[in-house]
Amino acid sequence: MIADATPASKKPSSFEVRVLRQDAPGEPGYWERHQITYEPNLNVISVLQKIAALSTTADGKSTTPVAWDCNCLEEVCGACTMLVNGRTRQACSALVDRLLEDNPAGIELQPMSKFPVLRDLVVDRTRMYRALERVKAWIPVDGYGDRGAGPKESQEGQEVRYPLSECMTCGCCVEACPQFAKVELFQRSDESDAEFAERKNRAYDQAFIGAAAISQAILFNEHPTGHMNADERLEALSAPGGLQVCGNAQNCVAVCPKNIPLTTSIARAGRQLTGYMFRKFFDR
Amino acid sequence: MPVGFRAKDMTRVQDSPPSFLVRHEFLIRRLHSLSGLVPVGAFMCVHLLVNASVLESPAAFQKNVYQIHSLGSLLPVVEWVFIFIPILFHAIIGVVIVMGGIPNTGNYPYAANRRYTLQRVTGMIAFVFIAIHVFHMHGWIHQDTWLEKVVRPLGGAEFHPYSAASSAGLALQSYVMVAIYLIGVLACVFHLANGIWTMGITWGVWISPKAQKRASNVCAIFGLLLAIVGVGALFGMRADGAGERLIEARQVEDKMYEHKLESGELKPNEHKRGGGEVTKSEETSQVSVE
Ligand code: SF4
Ligand code: SF4
Ligand code: FES
Repeated sequence: MIADATPASKKPSSFEVRVLRQDAPGEPGYWERHQITYEPNLNVISVLQKIAALSTTADGKSTTPVAWDCNCLEEVCGACTMLVNGRTRQACSALVDRLLEDNPAGIELQPMSKFPVLRDLVVDRTRMYRALERVKAWIPVDGYGDRGAGPKESQEGQEVRYPLSECMTCGCCVEACPQFAKVELFQRSDESDAEFAERKNRAYDQAFIGAAAISQAILFNEHPTGHMNADERLEALSAPGGLQVCGNAQNCVAVCPKNIPLTTSIARAGRQLTGYMFRKFFDR
Repeated sequence: MPVGFRAKDMTRVQDSPPSFLVRHEFLIRRLHSLSGLVPVGAFMCVHLLVNASVLESPAAFQKNVYQIHSLGSLLPVVEWVFIFIPILFHAIIGVVIVMGGIPNTGNYPYAANRRYTLQRVTGMIAFVFIAIHVFHMHGWIHQDTWLEKVVRPLGGAEFHPYSAASSAGLALQSYVMVAIYLIGVLACVFHLANGIWTMGITWGVWISPKAQKRASNVCAIFGLLLAIVGVGALFGMRADGAGERLIEARQVEDKMYEHKLESGELKPNEHKRGGGEVTKSEETSQVSVE
């Protein structure tokens, strides 16, 4: 019935949404079905708001609202990233009309599979930010005094860097990456919060750094001032879990919502590391 | 559903210090990448080209084989240092790499992602195939008891360098063997051609999407040509292992062997000549093996 009601003129009266829920970190997930009344121009966030308002599953059982994250609602912050019909993307820019065209049977929502689930569709993306720390994805400013004008900026260089600067650390690239495996740790009863955070960082630091941070390392290595710390970033990129883990599946570039040329950054990082490797060996 | 990822998750990360493999991950991965091209990939190209010379004539192939065997007692050293050990290194590290990946072509069916998965599948096929192939033709280790008690009874070490085309051809008569070789050779060729493409990204040779596209076209053409050479060699070899052509090949090989003996270039060598008693019942013993 719903299946053949896709032409623009005939819209379904309602559609099914399946959500993979999880009550707390480390607990097993379970599927919940919701029947949502169709309205034009819905996005997945408004669907989730409707689910929260209903608080009733498709089987008529009362349930708690599904938890999710969002912020900007215009695909700029990355907070609402989740798996929609199995693919990683932002819920706020996932339009229901489009989704039903592709798959009239309904919509399937899951949390990202490469990050620890906090609750339902909310995940902990600390590892993304830790990866930025690993490659020192910033320009060090060691004082407030006026140090005069910075180095001259070329138009060409600007054009290379601008697209890279659009990254919102959403995690789509690593979610789709076959070389990026989930790392999830649980706090021990005898462990303080600080100790736990430190243990997590140690685990993150050995695991694959991911395309986003590789690209950010290139962004700052190509920056005239950031270039001064290029070797430190290259050192981080060749540490365990660094660039070498990439297997060139190029899913990252295919799913990045910001169309960031990630595989170009990856190859550029490969070239810089080739040079760095020899320099390091012969300058010893 | 996402539960499917669980097996490969690093959900339980130990606190133990990083292993040797992890500490030297960068260098090992770069060496792995390099070894795929030199010496392993380069060897494979030479190997397939030499084998394809059988299409010209069994004599041409036999000449090439004599040339290789003119290395004499150095040959096993060259074999191990430049071929077997690099292949083993490439294969073992390859297995470690495969185990670290989570193929996901189901949800992300992009061409490059399919090639990523295929690269791993063909790598594993190549590993198994090369092990079978080297056992079948060469016997792995040239040590008499091992060869007599284990390899020959299992149908291995069938290639006899001084009867090159005929012994290889005879060893390739069964359909099962041809199928194994066909799959194996094509897997190796794909793995090398696609490997060169990923290597160019790894080392930073082709960077922009356009350059990567161009490189992938070149790699595809290279792969196609190498596949033709490899498959040609396989069926050329096989054709020389039966009927008239087998007899012709044997005659040519006999003549070349005797000539080499007369001129003192060679000492009689039954292993390399093949078929136990060389002078008396070689033909019958060769054929009865099959
Ligand atoms: S590179 Fe693209 S996919 Fe990856 S985190 Fe940044 S915006 Fe998201
Ligand atoms: S190109 Fe590398 S980082 Fe990007 S998806 Fe593939 S393996 Fe992951
Ligand atoms: S809410 Fe910011 S990207 Fe969706």
